[in-house]
Amino acid sequence: MFRKLILVAIALMVLVPALNVTAQPSGLPVDVPREELFVMDQIFRWSVIDNYNVWGPASGTPHRHALMFETLWYLDQETGNIMSGASNEPPVYNDDYTQMTVTLVDSLKWSDGEAFNADDLVYTVETVWNTPELSFGGWHAQFADFLESVEKVDDHTVTFTLNRPAPRFHKNFEARWAGLYMMPEHAFSQIEDLVNYTYQDGPYLGLYAPVEMDPNGFWNLFKKRDDPQNTAVCQYHMNEDCGPGYVLTILYGDSTKKVIAMTRGELDAFMNVDFEAFESLLASTPTAKSWYPEFPWAYPNETSSRLIRFNFDTHEWTNNKDVRWALALSLDIVQLQTEYIGGVAKVVYVNVPYTPKLAELYYNHPRMQEWVENLEIDVAGEPYKPYDGTVADRIGEWADEQGYAQPAETAAASYGSGWWKYDTDTAAKLLEHNGYTRDGNGDWFTPEGERFSFSIQAAPDEVDSFRVANAAADMWNDFGIDVELQGLERSVWSANFETGQFETDAPWLSFVLPDGDGWPQMRSYHSKYYVPAPELHNALGGGTPARLVDPVLDELIDAMESLHPQDPQNLELVHQYLQHWVENMYYISTVSFKKFVTWNELYWTNPPSAENDVYMPLYWFQGGRFSIGGLESLGG
Amino acid sequence: MTLLQQFILPRLLQWVIVIVVGITITFLIPRLSPVNPIQQALARLTQFQALEPEAVLQLKEQLMANYGLEGSIVEQYFRFWGNLLGGDLGPSFGAFPQRVNDMIGRALPFTVALLTFTTIMGWIIGIIVGTLAAYYPGRLTNLVAGVMIVVYPVPYFIIAFIFLMVFTYYIPFFPLIGVFRGEPFEAEFIATYLHSTFLPAVTLLITGLSFRFIMARALGTAELSSDHVQYATMAGLPDNRLMYSYVARNTMLPQVTDLGLSMGAIFSGTLITEAVFGYPGLGDLLLQAIYQADYNVVMGITLLSIVGIATASLIVDLSYPLVDPRVRYR
Repeated sequence: MFRKLILVAIALMVLVPALNVTAQPSGLPVDVPREELFVMDQIFRWSVIDNYNVWGPASGTPHRHALMFETLWYLDQETGNIMSGASNEPPVYNDDYTQMTVTLVDSLKWSDGEAFNADDLVYTVETVWNTPELSFGGWHAQFADFLESVEKVDDHTVTFTLNRPAPRFHKNFEARWAGLYMMPEHAFSQIEDLVNYTYQDGPYLGLYAPVEMDPNGFWNLFKKRDDPQNTAVCQYHMNEDCGPGYVLTILYGDSTKKVIAMTRGELDAFMNVDFEAFESLLASTPTAKSWYPEFPWAYPNETSSRLIRFNFDTHEWTNNKDVRWALALSLDIVQLQTEYIGGVAKVVYVNVPYTPKLAELYYNHPRMQEWVENLEIDVAGEPYKPYDGTVADRIGEWADEQGYAQPAETAAASYGSGWWKYDTDTAAKLLEHNGYTRDGNGDWFTPEGERFSFSIQAAPDEVDSFRVANAAADMWNDFGIDVELQGLERSVWSANFETGQFETDAPWLSFVLPDGDGWPQMRSYHSKYYVPAPELHNALGGGTPARLVDPVLDELIDAMESLHPQDPQNLELVHQYLQHWVENMYYISTVSFKKFVTWNELYWTNPPSAENDVYMPLYWFQGGRFSIGGLESLGG
Repeated sequence: MTLLQQFILPRLLQWVIVIVVGITITFLIPRLSPVNPIQQALARLTQFQALEPEAVLQLKEQLMANYGLEGSIVEQYFRFWGNLLGGDLGPSFGAFPQRVNDMIGRALPFTVALLTFTTIMGWIIGIIVGTLAAYYPGRLTNLVAGVMIVVYPVPYFIIAFIFLMVFTYYIPFFPLIGVFRGEPFEAEFIATYLHSTFLPAVTLLITGLSFRFIMARALGTAELSSDHVQYATMAGLPDNRLMYSYVARNTMLPQVTDLGLSMGAIFSGTLITEAVFGYPGLGDLLLQAIYQADYNVVMGITLLSIVGIATASLIVDLSYPLVDPRVRYR
């Protein structure tokens, strides 16, 4: 009897799946015709199920904010341009930046047919301002800090009065990642407990509404509104019925599973995979492509960059500028970029990504070009020019040697800026000038006679940062410094930098926003936010893990604060900040961000790409809405 | 009265002490972790935003209040016990304001179903085949034993990954993640559940079965050379009776202990299998909670695990005299 039961159980396990597979050949969880369905990689697993209240602390917003929600403007990372959302005009400030007036688009409607207007914006701002529990995005705290009043002028005009000059107040409504999401006043004003409201039934201002969600958080299905012509996305595309009928976000897991899913035709776009997985995808799926059709393939213009950071608070040696320069000069950036990163990210000598807009404002700006080419540092009393402008060309030569077909654009456009010479003799002089000594094996010793050794911490799941750390550790060890690479799980790595428990590490950041403004990213470096380790670096709200104190930076940050982001004087101050930063080699910047954002043009075409570079392909950002709305069906 | 006083009550007391100490340790350990849940939440809630420093401070205060992390650790400890005795594990930090009870309630059936089935099946098949292999040594049973000995040391996640590649890529027969359609207990749900669970179940079954096979075979072989089996063999008892009553039954004590503890451990989930096959069980939930320093979720799952294992140990302990009459309380 027992054996029979076992046999029946085994037979069931084999046969039922077989029957099921014939009924459901696709591994997709939804019953939607494939030619109407766009499937994109969900970048994490939802832990909050069927709750679309993106203002509360429950929120995870990736994908959803691009599909369902609207804000006033979008700051595109590819172009640095502002794209229209619920407003298609720039904000207007008074002379002292204490008042901001916004004009709204008059052609948008909520999915229930109600017109979007000034009442919605005023209601949204007042509700978030008056409800501390609606804390997502920090907008409540921003309004509590700055806002004096918000008033409707007419149906499509709203004026904000601020309690002090704030030339960047509009950034609260301008999405790089997200801008304040508009609330439907006519619907939400009827809700008693907005904090716990799950907002499952709309109305929505975006192009899509959620229709089904996996109770386990692996996927979420969205359906296009019946009136797409009333949305900002379709109005941008000048297409009354833009975008796929349905969008499914789905989490498959790691690089391997994403590549398998795309190969099986069950994934149309993914955010990123590692280089090796991408190569295997190209070999198996001819319809798949990333930003460039050929080498270097990956999307290179997300606004961030990889670097090596010093902890200036707890380790004395990091405070020696010559030592920091010696470390920079003992790195071979061409080797790092090619052998460790695969040649697919742009080199940067400062933490400004090499996007078209930012290259124009910084790397190729005459003031910066002249400065970097003539930059001299003091090496044991002798002037020394560290800049090497041939880096991009040498990476291009390496790519030629690999047999890669390359983009037609210039080497700099593909591979980034120049960098610092690989000059270990000069690096040695810098160390020796500061009392460091070298033994017969080439090993370095500190002025105190100890072996010169330190650690570099990195999170292996942030692949490029880990590879940068790996390259640096290898090269510095070759140079004779004893460097230990510590791979830490990301939350431990971040806990360490938050409490100052590191010597050097490999994080990522940008000193400027996609439009070139620096102050929002730089102000945390003001010494008034400094606290000593092991206190949390942001114990005073600002502050950075490097715990740097430099009065010159303070002055520049203070000077930027009162200027409008687009004021030419602001740009000049940012230039000065970057120059001072580099002269002191406070961080060793290496490469821009790159992501293998990849689209399989099997069911859908017209994604953004190097040949169609009108907006970014980062579909999980709120501004990713344009890339989804611009897709065209291939008819299955 | 003697049985109750000398055997059952001490074990019940022991069970209570284990659980109280275990829960207390569970309360303390996440708080010793360097990962700060407020910093984690701050990073998540303000991703890519450039906030005023004053706004950051205000947001931190709000998060402390939301998560119930205000007050000293002693106050938090007593508040925790108060909530626990009321059946409330508190809110999740990573998925605030969801209750931990709801999150565990969603993941638990998946884990229990998968691990109960694979543990019991692995145990039954392993013991039967292992005992047969001990009793009937020969080419076939040696071949089976060889396979099991090869399979056993292979980490289960390697087997999982091989299955994933073979049956989702080269032969794309199974889904890449758990795809469950329909309402629980409906035909569609059962079909998709079995389809999605087949690979993780086989992976766990193979590794569990190989261990039990090796154990049963070794115990059976040792039992075969014991005096009473030799005597029974010489007395001409039939094979069936010899195998079941003299060999198998006498090897059951460690097997029951193994089953009991394995059943208790199912509440810990099976992390790597869940991650490889996208299976929505407790293991993945626990991992995410550890990453996010989500104390309440970590405590909730660990609590289940402690209660599960302690209870299983208690049941095993109490059932020994039933399984083996030679065991008597002292």
